[in-house]
Amino acid sequence: MFLREIINWISFQLHILKNVLIFLAPAIPMTIKLTLVAFALALILGLLIGLARLSQRGLIKVFSKIYVDVLRGIPLLVQIFFIYFGLGKILNLDRFLAGVIAIAVCYSAYLAEIIRAGIQAIHKGQYQAALSLGMTPYQTMRYVILPQSLRIIVPPVANEFIASLKDSSLVSIIGLRELTRAGREYYSQYFVDFQTWLVVGIIYLIMTLSLSRLVAYLEKKYRVHGFGIPH
Amino acid sequence: MIIQTREISKRFGEIIALDGVNFEIEAGEVVVIIGPSGSGKSTLLRCLNGLEKTDSGEIIIDGIKLDKDKSSIHKVREELGMVFQEFNLFPHLSVLGNLCLAQEAVRKRSKPDAEKISLELLKKVGLLDKKDSFPNQLSGGQQQRVAIARALAMNPRIMLFDEPTSALDPEMIGEVLEVMKTLAKEGMTMLVVTHEIGFAREVAKRIIFMDQGKIIEEGKTEDILNSPQNPRTIAFLSKVLK
Ligand SMILES: Nc1ncnc2c1ncn2[C@@H]1O[C@H](COP(=O)(O)OP(=O)(O)O)[C@@H](O)[C@H]1O
Ligand SMILES: [Mg+2]
Repeated sequence: MFLREIINWISFQLHILKNVLIFLAPAIPMTIKLTLVAFALALILGLLIGLARLSQRGLIKVFSKIYVDVLRGIPLLVQIFFIYFGLGKILNLDRFLAGVIAIAVCYSAYLAEIIRAGIQAIHKGQYQAALSLGMTPYQTMRYVILPQSLRIIVPPVANEFIASLKDSSLVSIIGLRELTRAGREYYSQYFVDFQTWLVVGIIYLIMTLSLSRLVAYLEKKYRVHGFGIPH
Repeated sequence: MIIQTREISKRFGEIIALDGVNFEIEAGEVVVIIGPSGSGKSTLLRCLNGLEKTDSGEIIIDGIKLDKDKSSIHKVREELGMVFQEFNLFPHLSVLGNLCLAQEAVRKRSKPDAEKISLELLKKVGLLDKKDSFPNQLSGGQQQRVAIARALAMNPRIMLFDEPTSALDPEMIGEVLEVMKTLAKEGMTMLVVTHEIGFAREVAKRIIFMDQGKIIEEGKTEDILNSPQNPRTIAFLSKVLK
């Protein structure tokens, strides 16, 4: 008797979880797309700002420092509100674009600091050797400094990528239908809070765990082979 | 005169690293610079190839006046090879990669040409079997010989050496000095900062003694070593020769 009730309860729970999952699944690609587009943009911006932070020119240096300090000092949620409700009204940004810009700009500040530190970690003898061989500053950066910095930069950048995947859930607040938003919709229709957020959490967990496994694999691979011009 | 400097000075904030340095070097000459730590020897070498900008004075390398403009710095660097105390090999590239990179990027040699030249030079420094190794797999002496080969691959007319054996274990100093002696005998113009007095005695025509950013004394190797005139030179040599 008792056993049977337990089995019934479990199968009912599984049924709910399955329904939640079916409802949420279509929203997963949006979370992935949002994160990928935003992070790619953040990487480009971060590299530019990181290089600007190392510039010899006073104005560029000061400006990039302000950029980094301001963006790191304001919560991402507030930046999302500002870009969507503030700038978005003027520039006519849709939810996706506003979310992409907010995450990209915010993360570019963190990435800039990581990239700057990675470049500064390279011993000045490497610049001297490259320049003394007649290489231009650009060639020195491209073939000597950046390939070495990359090894230092990749692990913390990967962590930021995983963090940005999690932070993409904040964009749900402006109504973009990504994973977290879909969770809120399901909950407000069926009022099963525990099961809904359990499934949402597990989906995020699966994505972040597979990413960290991938990163660990890549790190190992590149540690052996090195970067740069192969010989 | 392949190198001429006139009254070059350089300060870092309060520190006067070079204080009106004048000297000349003829093509094919080997000149050794000695002097206590902090006397400006490294700064002098770095100024010669434009890694450091002088505050005043004039540097002329093989007829090219070193100006603020980039093209003169570039031309001068093509004439000068430099070897550093800490080797400064590129750790992410193999030995062959270290030798080929600038040949391809700067001299615009094709990869096969660059490799051919690299292999000849590796043979010359006795490291042909290490062509595929990475710098961290080599001993200090081997790394420094690769660094010398890397500089030579650019066909410089002059080689600058900044304490090339100071970071080496004693048993590895000889192998690097041997390579340098061979170069000297082939007629390479060399400006060498070193405290290896035996090396100086064997291959250097002249010795320059520096202290506090100035050339205190210079002359023929045997004159400086056997009968130095300035008290500071005497004090320094008595320490080094001990
Ligand atoms: N990049 C630099 N910044 C500040 N001071 C420097 C720098 N390079 C050298 N100096 C100073 O200049 C002086 C000469 O240094 P250096 O040329 O390295 O001497 P040496 O090679 O004879 O030991 C020293 O007092 C040193 O501390
Ligand atoms: Mg020095």
